[in-house]
Amino acid sequence: MSALSDYRRREQSISYSAEPAGMGLEQELMTINMGPHHPSTHGVLRLILTLEGEIVRDIKPIIGYVHTGIEKTAEQKAYWKVIPVVERMDYLAYYFNSYAYCGAVEKLLEVEVPKRAQYLRVIHMELNRIMSHLVWLGTSCIDLGAIGVWWYCFREREAVLDLFEMSSGQRMHTRYFQVGGVIEDIPRGWAERVKRFTQTMRHRSEQYSALLDKNEIFLQRMRNTGTVDEETLLDLGVTGPLLRATGNPWDLRKAAPYCSYEDFRFKIPVGTTGDNYDRYRVRHAEIIESCEIIDQALDGLPEGPFITEDRKVALPPRHELATSMEALIHHFKLVTEGFRVPPGEVYFPIESPRGELGCFVRSDGSSKPARVHMRDPSFVNLQATAPASRDTYIADLVATLAMLDPVLGGVDR
Amino acid sequence: MAWNPGEDVVAVQRAPKPGGAGGAYRAFGETLRGLKTTFGRMLERPVVYQYPEEKVPVYPRFRGRHKLHKFADTGLEKCVGCSLCAAACPADCIRVVAAENTPEHRVSAGERYAAVYEINLSRCIFCGYCEVACPFDAITMGHDYEMSDYNRTDLIFTKEMLLAEPLERTPLRTEDE
Ligand code: SF4
Ligand code: SF4
Repeated sequence: MSALSDYRRREQSISYSAEPAGMGLEQELMTINMGPHHPSTHGVLRLILTLEGEIVRDIKPIIGYVHTGIEKTAEQKAYWKVIPVVERMDYLAYYFNSYAYCGAVEKLLEVEVPKRAQYLRVIHMELNRIMSHLVWLGTSCIDLGAIGVWWYCFREREAVLDLFEMSSGQRMHTRYFQVGGVIEDIPRGWAERVKRFTQTMRHRSEQYSALLDKNEIFLQRMRNTGTVDEETLLDLGVTGPLLRATGNPWDLRKAAPYCSYEDFRFKIPVGTTGDNYDRYRVRHAEIIESCEIIDQALDGLPEGPFITEDRKVALPPRHELATSMEALIHHFKLVTEGFRVPPGEVYFPIESPRGELGCFVRSDGSSKPARVHMRDPSFVNLQATAPASRDTYIADLVATLAMLDPVLGGVDR
Repeated sequence: MAWNPGEDVVAVQRAPKPGGAGGAYRAFGETLRGLKTTFGRMLERPVVYQYPEEKVPVYPRFRGRHKLHKFADTGLEKCVGCSLCAAACPADCIRVVAAENTPEHRVSAGERYAAVYEINLSRCIFCGYCEVACPFDAITMGHDYEMSDYNRTDLIFTKEMLLAEPLERTPLRTEDE
């Protein structure tokens, strides 16, 4: 028993029981278990619910089922080898994970990232944002019983994944971002294809609107359910579309621009009351804004190198390996040992599809990070489950959970 | 509100109140409009592949199963057993044991060759760092993605398996497809 953490002990102390809910009431309070393998918990999340009839009176989320120890693993690896590892935390926002990490290391190294690399990063991240929101919309609609929307969303997601496959060689976990830039330039024809995709995407998102915006069943399930006010959210540290749905326009892309976001014109969609419908509308509008950003970035895509020319950090171009001894030596050194990072610590926050994703890196001067920590927005946002769904119907809890959009890979890490 | 981005903010539209007369209209009118959207999709071409009869084509950069290469003219292996790929692998799934080439037994073009070269594909995360690390282009990521098997031990690919041509080729997409 002593080996158990306090958290686990509290988890085990919960008894599943049925007891009278109070004097003169016929209802009983019933504590039941939902998950971890429940189709509507969006990953392996376990909820312990105390129900009075169909009303949720108390709710305790239990996490940790997909804990992978990625943060610890990262301490054993050279800096560049950490990138494919951290990408696997929040599996719907891999470009954001790797950018948060690369950005933190770049800040420690004080390397300059070429403009073209920054633009390519923006394009990929915004495509990733669209993709993540599509998965959110599709899976949420399944929970609400609208399976058609799911098919449509996954069709478009497929198109984004195809674009990722074309530019970076893999559909998920692409390790395209490297410290100092991106690993390869985009292939010929890719830019036109992305352009075509944003066109289609705008058109398609109108179709989602036509299906959902005024659908009576959707309205009944969404409007005024799962409402949490701005104060509570701020107290809990919730960020991203959940916070913006309450009317607070906090968006790091505008509030503290990184990666050339100041070059682009885009709007921050905000809601008014912070109920599920506002969350839906905000994310839906963000898809369109992301299309805008991508189009602007493609139009303004500067020429130039796609990765920093600093040979201490970036691998030399392949063609130099055959001709230049110096390049070969750098290559050997970077591959076997990796680059050294000056001692220090840095926190680098970015706006992921779910909110503020921050990466903390501490360096002790060696070629492996001494500590890597991610502030994952899903983890923080999950705290809003209880205030959002206490004293609502259990069916609304499912809808609210879907609209909170937690990704359990990111929560547990 | 501590921070105000000014006119960069757009408020999204609120939902109409559910129920009431509007609700009665929406229950019919909007449902019909939704049906129009779904039925409209019937005219579009299906986007699915009939896998496994029809293989999904991949793009040239796709990183699938690894391949080891030989020189086309001499037939010697390109790999010289330098273990750089093993050093670069984040999943630690490559094992290289090098041995000296002798005049009677020449396997590779360099001084040494890989006597053992194994990749444990059940650990591999297909990051392609081995391909990036190899200074001699001896290992590349191929295009095959059908690698499942019944035993974990069968997923440890030996040098012979990696040098061999795949039984079935994965279709490639062209750039403007
Ligand atoms: S693709 Fe990555 S994980 Fe797989 S063998 Fe190569 S370096 Fe290792
Ligand atoms: S594949 Fe390349 S990097 Fe790996 S041992 Fe052979 S020559 Fe060295």
